Amino acid sequence: MVDQALPVLLFLLAAGALSVGMVVVGTLFGPRRATAVKRMPYESGMDPIHDSRRRFDVRFHLVAIAFLIFDVELLFLYPWAVASHHPQGIDAAIAAGAGSGRGVVFCGVLFFLGLVVLGLVYEWKRGVLKWR
Amino acid sequence: MMSVETTALVLVLVKIALMLGGIMTAAAYFVLLERRVAAWVQDRHGPNRVGIPLTKIRLMGLGQPLADGLKMIFKEEYIPAQVDRPLYIIAPIVIMTAALAAFAAIPLGSVVPEITQLGIKEPIPLLVATQLDVGMLYVFALSSIAVYGVILGGWSSNSKYSFLGGLRSSAQMIAYELPLGLGILGVVLACHSLRLDAIIQHQADSGVWFVLAQPLGFVVFLVAAFAEAGRLPFDLTECEQELVGGYHTEYGGMKLVLFLTAEFIHMITASFLIVILYLGGWHLWGVTGSGVDVGWVGALLRMAVLMAKTFGLIFFFMLIRWSWPRFRFDQLMSLAWKVMLPLGLLNLVAVAICTELAHPSVAGNWLDSRLGGGGTALFFCVAGWGVAFLGLCAVALTQPMIGDNRPRRNLDLQHVDQQLDFEGRPSAG
Repeated sequence: MVDQALPVLLFLLAAGALSVGMVVVGTLFGPRRATAVKRMPYESGMDPIHDSRRRFDVRFHLVAIAFLIFDVELLFLYPWAVASHHPQGIDAAIAAGAGSGRGVVFCGVLFFLGLVVLGLVYEWKRGVLKWR
Repeated sequence: MMSVETTALVLVLVKIALMLGGIMTAAAYFVLLERRVAAWVQDRHGPNRVGIPLTKIRLMGLGQPLADGLKMIFKEEYIPAQVDRPLYIIAPIVIMTAALAAFAAIPLGSVVPEITQLGIKEPIPLLVATQLDVGMLYVFALSSIAVYGVILGGWSSNSKYSFLGGLRSSAQMIAYELPLGLGILGVVLACHSLRLDAIIQHQADSGVWFVLAQPLGFVVFLVAAFAEAGRLPFDLTECEQELVGGYHTEYGGMKLVLFLTAEFIHMITASFLIVILYLGGWHLWGVTGSGVDVGWVGALLRMAVLMAKTFGLIFFFMLIRWSWPRFRFDQLMSLAWKVMLPLGLLNLVAVAICTELAHPSVAGNWLDSRLGGGGTALFFCVAGWGVAFLGLCAVALTQPMIGDNRPRRNLDLQHVDQQLDFEGRPSAG
């Protein structure tokens, strides 16, 4: 586990340090000549009209929810995809007496995918995917 | 002499340093390349002036990235008054760190031989996280973190352009993450590993790149990778003409550099992933072989092949940028949910059925005895192309042009003219 994670952690640390370092370098060397106009939000040269914390289209929420559902469903498929033909995967488990056969596993996965497709069809018919 | 653990640690640190340095340099010079390619496409010169300072040597503009970097360091550091300061500063750091860190699991070649003079007694894989078994999942996860950078940047800026840009790009990125994952799943299923080096090895051993076996998966993955990288025709993340700069409108100086570099690194990552997953990685028929022990020449050759393929794809990205118009947002979302997602599911099901049929206990032995080993592989390739053809036909037939806004051909112009007077107003009566 340490062998697996240590290089990744070191890489993350190094990448983070590089990013933070770049921001710090910019802060250290950049001049600061702020004026009132410079500190305004950019709105193509006009004075900003009102706050930007406003209500926005609910469809973005729908997309986010649909994404969450489908993404989690896809994540469930990764273990199966790896184990399906791995020498120590499903075949080994069946040989060791777990479960009843490859066909059952495969039909189970197809059933699961069918549910995903059904969800997509439902979403489609309900107009979640429609942008006008 | 150092102990084995220390040697391994030093090796990892050296790899990380080389990798980070390499990516940053590559990103800087790819910016130059992109500008030169843009100039070439548009028939102009592009940045060809900056060479060695204080001399008149131009070096085809090779000094430009260095000059740009220096300029960016000395740019004014300003933070607009309305922003949420902590998030505003964290956002570019998050996106850059995630973009860089994805390279921990991406192999840059196969293995180079051991260097006994330095105390390294085993061949060195050209990969930082050599033991990581979930490499593909790790890269996928980090590419999703980019969404956080975009959302944080867009939200914390508290400006309308940034906000709209952030919303749009996050919706785009999460929508295309699903086809991306489906494209990955097909490959993972076929070579039962999440390790990128194992995926390349599988293609090298069988000699069948996945672009040949799963063309539909390749199309889906390629399109999704373009969208994830936010490149034209999917650059709604920062459509300059509509949203000024999108989510990084309010950024300047080094923080803007982090955003832009991260986007470039996304493109490099996407190219590497396309090459590794679908175009055989370092494998090239008759040139690189597929054995594990190849010596220095073989290792360098493989590295060169991988780099050449990746470079070719990056060049392809750049050419696409100057050849295609941008999608409209509704077209973009329809493409993701109504075309790419069903096609990705179709590809996954097809691959699942094919690999299941190829299993010895199902029909694999029977097929092998009828067709021979090569024949079976050819059979499944043909099946893959058939599925791709059928899938694309089905999309073309069931979904005519979404939101077609071309000029109407069936309009009778004379009839229209009669309805209007010559100034374009409806005529009385």
